[in-house]
Amino acid sequence: MKRISTLTGLVLATGLLWTAALAQDAAEIMQKSHLAYYYAGNDGQTDVRMTLADKKGGERIREFTMLRLDKEDGGDQKYYTYFRQPSDVARLTFMVYKSATGNDQRWIYVPSVDLVKPISADDKNSSFVGSDFTYEDVSGRHWTEDKHTLVREDQLNGKAVHVIESVPLKPYKGFAKRLSYIDKTSFLPLKEEYFDDKGVMTRILRADKIEDIDGITTVTIRSMENVKKGSKTTVAFNSIKYNVGLKDDIFTERYLKTPPREYVK
Amino acid sequence: MKTKQLLAALALVVTAGAVQAEVKVDGFLQGLFGGRLDEKNPTATEYTASESRLQLRLEQVGDKNEFFGRMDFTYDAADSAGMDWELREAYMKARLGNNFDLKVGRQILTWGTGDLIFINDVFAKDYRSFFVGRDDQYLKAPQNALRLEYYGGIGSISLVWTPRFEPNRLPTGRTLSYYNPFVGQIVGEGYYFDVPRPASKFENSEVAARYSRQVGGFNTAFYFYKGFYKNPLGAVMVDGQPMPVYPKVNIYGASMRGQILGGIAWVEGGYFDSRQDRDGDQPLMPNSSATWLTGFERQIATNLTVNAQWQGDLMMEYDKYKVGQEFMGGYVRDELYHLLTTRITKLLHSELVTLSAFVFYSPTDEDMYARLNAEYKYTDQVTFALGANIFDGNSPATSFGQFQRNDNLFFKVTYNY
Repeated sequence: MKRISTLTGLVLATGLLWTAALAQDAAEIMQKSHLAYYYAGNDGQTDVRMTLADKKGGERIREFTMLRLDKEDGGDQKYYTYFRQPSDVARLTFMVYKSATGNDQRWIYVPSVDLVKPISADDKNSSFVGSDFTYEDVSGRHWTEDKHTLVREDQLNGKAVHVIESVPLKPYKGFAKRLSYIDKTSFLPLKEEYFDDKGVMTRILRADKIEDIDGITTVTIRSMENVKKGSKTTVAFNSIKYNVGLKDDIFTERYLKTPPREYVK
Repeated sequence: MKTKQLLAALALVVTAGAVQAEVKVDGFLQGLFGGRLDEKNPTATEYTASESRLQLRLEQVGDKNEFFGRMDFTYDAADSAGMDWELREAYMKARLGNNFDLKVGRQILTWGTGDLIFINDVFAKDYRSFFVGRDDQYLKAPQNALRLEYYGGIGSISLVWTPRFEPNRLPTGRTLSYYNPFVGQIVGEGYYFDVPRPASKFENSEVAARYSRQVGGFNTAFYFYKGFYKNPLGAVMVDGQPMPVYPKVNIYGASMRGQILGGIAWVEGGYFDSRQDRDGDQPLMPNSSATWLTGFERQIATNLTVNAQWQGDLMMEYDKYKVGQEFMGGYVRDELYHLLTTRITKLLHSELVTLSAFVFYSPTDEDMYARLNAEYKYTDQVTFALGANIFDGNSPATSFGQFQRNDNLFFKVTYNY
């Protein structure tokens, strides 16, 4: 009897250790993935073309240039966005100081009235320019905000992937559960499935095209499908550059009012 | 003057043609139709707007400088039944070295913290456009100005010099009625008049300055203005008749704005030094006053943003003002004027539909003004809007009470190209 319980204890302990190790692995994978996806290089510059397709097939286009500067890998970031299309928002600029752990700060500059305005940024889960991406999808949800578990190892489109389940540590409107398919070599998410609290899949993120840019494996086309609404947003990144040497002062009111033309033509 | 502007515009268009490869051209075509809801409005027309508008924008960008031009062509079918046009902007912007930015030409200028309440923003407003449903960009009237900005370790400094004083554009009695204190009632077309601007002299030019820097998480700024009241708040006697004028004023102000309690909060204050009536004993000139505002904005639910503001205005030398007004039989305001505002904005249907309401209410003047707007982005190019402007007040002499006959409903369709 005593032997059995000792054995059970051992098995249980090993199991627990194994689970803990797996959880740690999963968190590590998600951290690597987060850094590969949102913190490539020290800074970045890209032209973005966003296509918003509704369920009736109607299309809307958003074109902008985006600049990003990282303070440290996995830490705070600054984003600068200059809109080109559609014409009613052309020349509008937008700036975000993303806090890895706290609240973001956002500003908008409306050139037609020369207005600089900070905007209340309480809700990271609200839509980015009306698309199926949220602000958080654009700049990344910090891996420490979720509990990660490695569900299985798998294959996706001929690539070996870790399948990781993430559950928010605090109740969160954006999702109740997320399944990420992380490429074992590049650590980029090839697919993410979002589920609500009833276990219904709400959105699917897909990496549609992956390229090598300056030696950094980069998703150059990605899409977010809103399963509930039947809409889909496709984002194509063009003229991507890393380590362009962006300075801190680009991300200030001065350049919000007068775009830095060496980066934003 | 108009001829010069037209030549400038033509030059813009011609230049655009010549270097088309480098010039970006865009703009919009818009129809705006609005009718008054008050039958007793003493204006000549029942329409508050019936116009077709073409805006043409040209932009040329270099590494260190850029040129920008924005031109509006309008056809007014209700009032003058004629073609008109205006050069909204035509400026050159250049970066001078590491610390200076220069912007020269016709431009729109904005600063300060208030939401549709302006204290230190002394740049010209266009309330004629604002009250009939034109786009928000038309609330700001252009000025011919030179703006020099310095950015450095100590913060940033903006200097704006406007050689020729640019007043606010106020209802004149044509499509919108207003209260005429000389007649003592709300008047329309028959009392249309043009207030003479201060003479075109160097000493009459406007100077506006701002120093700002980040203090903690707050953007802090100090302001100075030397010029004139933007509304014709004073009068002088000419041949025994009072003639409205823009009185001289200096404004000293400060503001702070930043993120707090999950939203944005702002405070701003200014002292209006009425240079032609420092002792308050000129009944035809405005008294000096201290005015301040505070506001808070927060997203209270997904796609639902609400803000609220309170403005106070304390008149100096109130006793003398009161005696003067009572003697002339004019409206007597309170020594401390209060204005409360709130804006509610709701986005729907993937942000394609915007519903908004902005309400001004003064408990001391007992008047109000509400702006209601519903907008639908049908495609990236085409937008429909439906809105209303509603005024009310106990006295026809107060800020909003004077426009109480101008309630209107408007419809707008815009094609962006």
